[in-house]
Amino acid sequence: MAIELHPLHQFTIERIVPLRIGGLDVSYTNSALLMTIVVILITALTVLGTRRAALVPGRWQSVAEMSYEFVADMIQSNVGPEGMAYFTFIFSLFMFILFANLLGLIPYSFTVTSHIIVTFALAAVVFVGVTIIGFVQHGLHFLRFFVPEGVPKVLLLLLVPIEVLSYFIRPFTLSIRLFANMLAGHTMLAIFAGFAAILGVFAIFPLGVNLLLLALELLVATLQAYVFAILTCLYLNDAIHMH
Amino acid sequence: MSEDPPSDPLARLGEKIDRAQLERTTRRSAKSGPSAQQGIGFGYRVGIELVAAVIIAAGLGWAFDRWLGRGHWGLIVMFFLGVAAGMLNVYRAVSGLGMAIGYRPHSDEGAGSRQTKDAWDDEEC
Repeated sequence: MAIELHPLHQFTIERIVPLRIGGLDVSYTNSALLMTIVVILITALTVLGTRRAALVPGRWQSVAEMSYEFVADMIQSNVGPEGMAYFTFIFSLFMFILFANLLGLIPYSFTVTSHIIVTFALAAVVFVGVTIIGFVQHGLHFLRFFVPEGVPKVLLLLLVPIEVLSYFIRPFTLSIRLFANMLAGHTMLAIFAGFAAILGVFAIFPLGVNLLLLALELLVATLQAYVFAILTCLYLNDAIHMH
Repeated sequence: MSEDPPSDPLARLGEKIDRAQLERTTRRSAKSGPSAQQGIGFGYRVGIELVAAVIIAAGLGWAFDRWLGRGHWGLIVMFFLGVAAGMLNVYRAVSGLGMAIGYRPHSDEGAGSRQTKDAWDDEEC
């Protein structure tokens, strides 16, 4: 009982199917289960939603088209038409984070994005990918990225390290932002739920707070997916256009 | 294939799609007005930038000192570099340059960067 009330208990990773390959623990965990569900749901939405494409869309087709247009608009206005080549990646990224965040809000489920290893893996893919795109598009010219123009030579000694640092900080801020928001929000929800469990009649107050918090968390869940996707767009724009 | 005269139904359809797409892009750039969601999203973006930069840079410096086994200059230097990098990132985000690093004011490059700037202007007000 006491363990169940612990606000951080919800983040425990449990092995569902224990599995070892060599010395490596590759068990199928509750985190992996949630990721599988997320991928299945997204695939179902996009495949089933567009299977019977009608001129006047039904509910599911409408949702699928709206998510497509939302991401396409975001890329068009932040990267430009060249960015549409990377549409599939950014769409998958956005939908994965959105569904993972939203599914995590269901009581007794698990929030994949509340683990920094997951968000950092996503951010690292974005970071490495964008850097490769930059080098492929501009060659070694891409390194000029770190040298601000019209600055005295002496100041460059100071400015280049700052620019390099602020470039390499990107995957960290990207992952910490998503992870910290999810962790903090869900911990808060669990703390108030814990109050409700021990207060008896007065449980109505923490429950009310939880209701409001849940609404806030819904907003945060969608916003964090949006922020992650739009920052990916901005980084992509930097790599493609180099200003 | 589709360069045939417009009597070809496929080419006519292509033209129609092109026109509709053009209309859509112009309409999109014309419509402005910041949404609340974009504003909050912007807040979330900037919020973590400064803190994370300082912590990670200082951590790197500290790790460097540990690896060296003596001294504390790594921590001190990296801390201030982290503050500078974090502030630079926040300043760039707020002043509408996106998250650009090595921003060049005399850029002659394409519409993409200009579009970005417009988008940011929208979000700020």
